[in-house]
Order: sequence, then structure tokens, then C-alpha cells
Amino acid sequence: MSEVPLLEVTGLATHFHTRAGVVKAVDGVSFSLKRGEVMGLVGESGSGKSITGFSIIGLIDPPGRVENGSVKLEGRELVGLEPAELRKIRGKQISMVFQDPMMTLNPMLTIGAQIRLALEAHEKVSGAEARRRAVAALAQVRIPDPEGKVDFYPHQFSGGMRQRVAIAIALLHRPKLIICDEPTTALDVSVQAEILAEMKELVAELGTALIWISHDLAVVASLADHVCVMRYGKIVETGRTLDVLTRPQHPYTQALLDALPSRAEPGTLLAGGAGAEAAPPPRIAADATTTTGDTAHYVQIEHVAKRFAQTPGLFRKLAQKLGLAKSPDAVQAVDNVTLVLKRGEALGLVGESGSGKSTLGRVAAGIYAPDSGRVRINEAPVMSAGDRPHKVTTRVQTIFQDPFASLNPRMTVGDSIAEGPLAHGLIERAQAKDYVRQWLAAVGLDPAFATRYPHQFSGGQRQRVAIARALAMQPDVVVCDEPVASLDVSIQAQIINLLIRLRQELDLTLIFISHDLSVVRHLCDRVAIMYRGRIVESGPAGEIYERPQHDYTKRLLAAVPVLPSAPVN
Amino acid sequence: MLGHVAIRLLQALVVMLVMSALVFVGVYAIGNPIDVLIGPDVSQELRLQTIARYGLDRPLWEQYFTFLARVLHGDFGRSFVFGMPVMELILSRLPATLELTLAAVLGAALIGIPAGIYAGYRPDGWAAKLIMTVSILGFSVPTFWIGLVLIMVFAVELQWLPAGGRGETVPIFGVEWSFLTANGLSHLLLPALNLAFFKLALMTRLARAGTRETMLTDTVKFARAAGLSEWTVLRRHVLRLIAIPLVTVFGLEFASTLAFAVVTETIFSWPGIGKLIIDSIQSLDRPVMVAYLMLVAFVFITINFLVDLAYVGLDPRLRKGGAR
Repeated sequence: MSEVPLLEVTGLATHFHTRAGVVKAVDGVSFSLKRGEVMGLVGESGSGKSITGFSIIGLIDPPGRVENGSVKLEGRELVGLEPAELRKIRGKQISMVFQDPMMTLNPMLTIGAQIRLALEAHEKVSGAEARRRAVAALAQVRIPDPEGKVDFYPHQFSGGMRQRVAIAIALLHRPKLIICDEPTTALDVSVQAEILAEMKELVAELGTALIWISHDLAVVASLADHVCVMRYGKIVETGRTLDVLTRPQHPYTQALLDALPSRAEPGTLLAGGAGAEAAPPPRIAADATTTTGDTAHYVQIEHVAKRFAQTPGLFRKLAQKLGLAKSPDAVQAVDNVTLVLKRGEALGLVGESGSGKSTLGRVAAGIYAPDSGRVRINEAPVMSAGDRPHKVTTRVQTIFQDPFASLNPRMTVGDSIAEGPLAHGLIERAQAKDYVRQWLAAVGLDPAFATRYPHQFSGGQRQRVAIARALAMQPDVVVCDEPVASLDVSIQAQIINLLIRLRQELDLTLIFISHDLSVVRHLCDRVAIMYRGRIVESGPAGEIYERPQHDYTKRLLAAVPVLPSAPVN
Repeated sequence: MLGHVAIRLLQALVVMLVMSALVFVGVYAIGNPIDVLIGPDVSQELRLQTIARYGLDRPLWEQYFTFLARVLHGDFGRSFVFGMPVMELILSRLPATLELTLAAVLGAALIGIPAGIYAGYRPDGWAAKLIMTVSILGFSVPTFWIGLVLIMVFAVELQWLPAGGRGETVPIFGVEWSFLTANGLSHLLLPALNLAFFKLALMTRLARAGTRETMLTDTVKFARAAGLSEWTVLRRHVLRLIAIPLVTVFGLEFASTLAFAVVTETIFSWPGIGKLIIDSIQSLDRPVMVAYLMLVAFVFITINFLVDLAYVGLDPRLRKGGAR
């Protein structure tokens, strides 16, 4: 075909000049896109996929700079264009949608005002005309009651709705190309499924070309005609989506696919997640649990309820008494939940954001005191009774989602790991150093890292440290709150493997909280589905995934994007 | 919203009450006003009479409650020195200070915020570096020294502007204002500039920090990606997003300048409230001191309340009743 492609990128190189040297974020990327075509740009964090998107629309902030190469839109060169000329193209011919809809819209302005600003960027419109167009734009992205919603502020919308508004703004001027930078990553699966379906329809309807940047192969597979896989600023493989995902040519693509838990046999170690880990230190005799109670009812969570309400201050109480102020709204996060875990079992707690799964996990771990009900491990309560209950056992520990937030940035990781065991007398100060070294080795880190600070580690290494810190307390039960949610697929595979191994070696009982159904399927024996503070369904993992009973579970499973099945190897 | 206002009013009442007690006891502890009021050579009888006339022979708590009861009727007593009602005295001096303070704080905001936004928008340009250097001077050079230099340069050497006083005033609603005459404005300029210098530096730095942070957010990136011009991005997005800390500092600075413009007023012999309070402390004029400090507390509470209302006006997330 001799037709001029809509977008032609050749040898694009974007470098960041930092004090530490030049970072080649995008290093010679070439691809082309036809009118109305959907292309997936896949890679892990740091692969340069987002920077590629920003380079195309000329929004690279210093110290970054497009060094080389060309970006042609319908034959017109965009690299080196005057800022004013580029601005005329942005939003009009190429527009962009970002990852986090909570951050992209200005919280201070109404949706209508923001749409109007975007309209006025390229045309002169009257107030009434702008409003009419805004309503039409909202209607186009399936926002119910668009006339009323125009005057809403972003915080009055849910995440999915906000992302729809962002898409509506991106579509305002009927651009020829939309670049979507992980637009559904911050959303729940069911919302993601809706947006994906709508996006597909809109693109087909308007004939807009789409570059869909994502780390999630399955999402890209459900949308894109062809796909480019990026690594270290270069495209390592490109081709038709089905071909790339079923017959990958490049070993990196193969490794990415192998690291996905959804493609592996549940419970097995994931490929590519191998690490050199030593055995954990032996259990400390004094603490070694002589399991007396019955192992079938090892962890008992009985009729737990937790409600969050603001405690009113003195003056507010007074005003409430006088009828001048209303009491603030309360949130019923967990509503009468009962769960029992066998010793050594791994229970997956699945739900979308706001379902109460994290709150339940924290109650189980003795971080929050439940309003009613109780939690016991091996017949012993996790929290003391009384008005101000506190945690009375070290046998349950927690691994949090964000290790950067959960590790003290001013403490060496060695001190962080030793802190708890020292405070509870599990080890003597003299032993601490060796103990820490053993644990670091057990989670696959160099024992010499003990003197480093959290910021000196990568995300995956930090999560390993967090695991070591939790396990150094010699727990029997570990609550994992989305421990792999913020990690890249290959790192995620390593952490999952580590958890599988440590769980076997230490005979741990796991409560694994996640929104990611495939990770839970891989790691857990049993699954409990949470919805609005209640458990709607629970049972053996295989059964729930094969034959879901509750409507919500069915919807949740249907919403998960699936990879095209690979030919059996 | 109404409930919120009610709560704030209750809190304000309690604060005012506590403040009145603290002030009264504190002032009571300083010196003996009788020694200032009458000469040392008067007879013992006259001395006792004077003490009784001012109620100074009563126990402290009784004096306090008498004071409180009178205050509730709007009577803060008479100045020992001037012999006129305290409220009248203070209100006659307040407009001069109000005028000076408003000129200083508004000037600082109107110059400092744009300068700060610019410095945050182009942090590596020479103009930004110049702005930041000047703002460091504004922080570190003492007010009285700048005042003296301003007088030396503009009043003594160049003789462009007067060195002190309010100049011609025009009455509006029975209150005299300087800013309505050219002569009055020329008198206002130097002291206002002197007062504004520190605030200018503060506003500039705050606006710069906020802008630098905001420019990196997705909100700004998204606006740029939609093709908005840089000017629109700064005016409609950035300014709104950095407004809350600016409003906070504006309110606090306004209140504290209103209450404590003493140094500048002294240097430029501006007949404001700051000079009055210094004089009354020297002469142990208790009613003036008490009334003045109560007024300061009142001003702070009022301005804080207004700032809170401004938050609600600026940030829709603080408004209640939004349907999801």
C-alpha cells in the first residue's frame, strides 16, 4: 500500500540529561500507524513506553529532550516544531489520556468548565455553545444524566466516571489519534471492562487511531490490532497481537508471558521468577508453637464488624446536642464477617476497592480493633479485651502493598528487620546482626544490604525486605495486603514464587488480599469474595473460578481480560 | 454549613473569654498604675480615693467580673491617660493602621504571587534567580533597617517622598483616610513598602513552591495535552491549585500586621494603633492595653474564620452535600 500512514515514528530517541549521566529513556523507536488502527505498546516500568507517548505530542519536560528521529503526522514532521505550532496539534489532532483519573482533572473546577477550557484551546465558543458541546461529549462517553453532571466537580465522580470525562475531553475535537497511557490501570476490573468495551466502540465509530500503552498484556490483547513490546527504550518485538502473544519470537516477550500467573498451573513456581534464596533461619524454640488446638479451626474470625465514623470534637458534640450540626456519615467497612482457616492454608480475599477487604485484613492482623466479633489464632485472642484493645500476639504479621510507605526511610533495613524481634525478646542484641543476615538471604537479598536504607532498593527488593521484616517476627499467620499490586509482572512473579516457597518451608497460614483474580488463583487454596463489607461467596479456589455461584463473582470473573490461548507447547 | 458556622462561633466565644481572663490577669501583674496616674507628693487620702475610684482596691476576681460585665455592655472603660472612652480612642486610630496594612498586604500579594508563579514556571531563568535573591533579602533584612534606608534614600537624599505622617486625609463616614488624596498616597507609599517587603518575600516563595509542584502534576500535563496555552494553564489551573496556602498566609499576615505594625508606624510616625499601644504600655494605661489585646484576639478569630470560608469557596471538595 502506498498510502501515507497516519503516524510514522522513525528512530525516535528521547534522552534525559541528569547529573548522573544521560538516561536513554527512548532509544531508537520506530513504528507506524494507519488511520483508525489500534496499537498496543507494552512494557514494564522504565521501558520508555510512556516517554514514547509524551515524545509524540511534544510534552517532554526538561531535563528530557527528543534527541533524534522523526515523528510524522500525515507526512508532517512534528519533531522540532515551534511550541505554538505543536500546541495547535495537541488536543486537536492528537490527544492523550492518562493513567490516574484522580490526578488528571482539576479538583477546583467543574467538569463543564474544564471541557470549556479544552474547547477554547482550539476554537472560539460561546458559553451556551460550550455547555451544549460539553453535555454532548459526556453523553458520548455514556455518562448518565449529562445535563446535570456538567456542573459536577471531579470529586463527585467515581474513578471510572472521571476517566470517562478525561476520554470525553480527549475526544472533543475529533482527533485523528489518541494516546492512552495505562488508562485503566488504576480502576477496578469491572470498571476496566466497561471502559475497554466503550473505547473499542468509540474508536470504531469515530475512526480514531489509538496507541494503548499498558503493562498488562491481556488488556492490550483485548483491544489492539498489533502490538509493540518495549524494553530499555527499544522495541524488541512487534507484530499482530495474536501472533506476538501466541508465538512470541523474542525471549523477553516469552519471559513476560511466562511470568503471568494466569498462564501457569496454580501453586507452581512461575518461570522467570527464579531467585537464589537461602533457607530461612530455624524457628526459635521458645516460640515454636505446640499446636494444641484443632488445626482445622486455626484462625477464627467470628462475626467481625468494623465501622468508621469521625469522632466528633467537644464543640461538635455540643452543637449536635443543640441540634445545630448533624453527625457525620459513618462507613460500614466490614459487616458481620465470619471466616475460618485451617493451619497452613492460604485464603485469598478478593474484592474491588471499597469492598472492605483491607479493613478485614487489618482486623485479622490486630491492627484495627473490630467493633464487634473477635479474631482468634489457635484459640488465643489476637487483641486484648476492654475499652482500648491492643494487639497481644506476635503470631500474626502483615505485609503491606507499598513497602516504600511501610518501611521507615530513616532506618537501615537491618534495623527495621531487627526492631520487632528485639522488642519482643525473640533474639538478643548480640544475635541481631546474624539473624537479619539470615533473613535477608532467605528472601533472596545480599546479606550485606542490611546497612542500606529503603530508598537504595528497587520496588521488588523493598517488598522482599518487607517480607523479611514480617517473617522475622516468627509469625504463624501472615496477612498480605496486595503485596504484588504495584510491581511489574516479572518482579511480581519473583515475589509470588518467594511467598510460595516460604509458605511451604515455614508452614505459614496466609490471608492474601488482592484485587487480582489470577494472582489469587495461583497462590491460594481457598477464595472468599468480598462485596460491600460482606463475604458473598467462598470456597475452594478451583471451584469458585470454574463454577461461580453468586452474581457478583460471575461479573467479576467475566470482567477479567483474558489472553488468547497459546498453542500447547 | 450552618452547623459548621455555629461550631466556629461557639469556639470563638470560648477563645475570647479565655483571652479576656489571660489578658486581664497578665496586665494586672504589671506595675502599679496609681504611681503613673498621680504624683508621688499627693496626700495619702487622695491616693486612697483615686484607688477606690478606679476600683483597684477590690480583689482581682471582682475586678475581672466588673470588667466583664461592662464589656458585655460595650464599655471597655476610660483611658487613664487620655481620659476618653477606650473604644473611641482605639477606633480613632484603627483606620490609619487598617489602611497601611491593607496597602502593604494587598501590594505584597499582587506583586508577590505573579512573581512567584513566574519563578516557579521558569525556575532556571535569570529572572527567576533575581526574584528569589530579592526574596531572600526580604526575609533576612530587618524591617527597621529597611525603613531607615527608605527614609534616607527617598525622603532625605532624593526628597521624592515625605518621611512621616499621614498627609492630607479625606473623611468618609466620619473616618479620615489618606489613600484618597495624592498627598496622602505619597505619605502612605514608603511605610506600606516597608511593611510589604517581608510579606512580598513570603508570598513569592509560597507561590513559587506551589507552582513548581503543580507544574509537575498530571492535571497540568493533561491540560497541556488538550492543547491549552501556557497562559491559560497558569491562570486557570495553577493559580487555583496553589490558592489555599496563599489565602492562609494572606489572612495570617494581614491579622498580624494589623496588630503589630508597631515598628514601621514608629519609624514613619504613622499615627496608627501600634503607636498607641506602645504609649499605653509605657504609661501603664491598663484599659487601653486590655481593650487592644482583646481587639487583636477578635481580629485573629474573625480573619481565621474568613479564611476558612474562603477555603470552602475555593475548594469544592470542602463543600457538603455533593451527590456522588
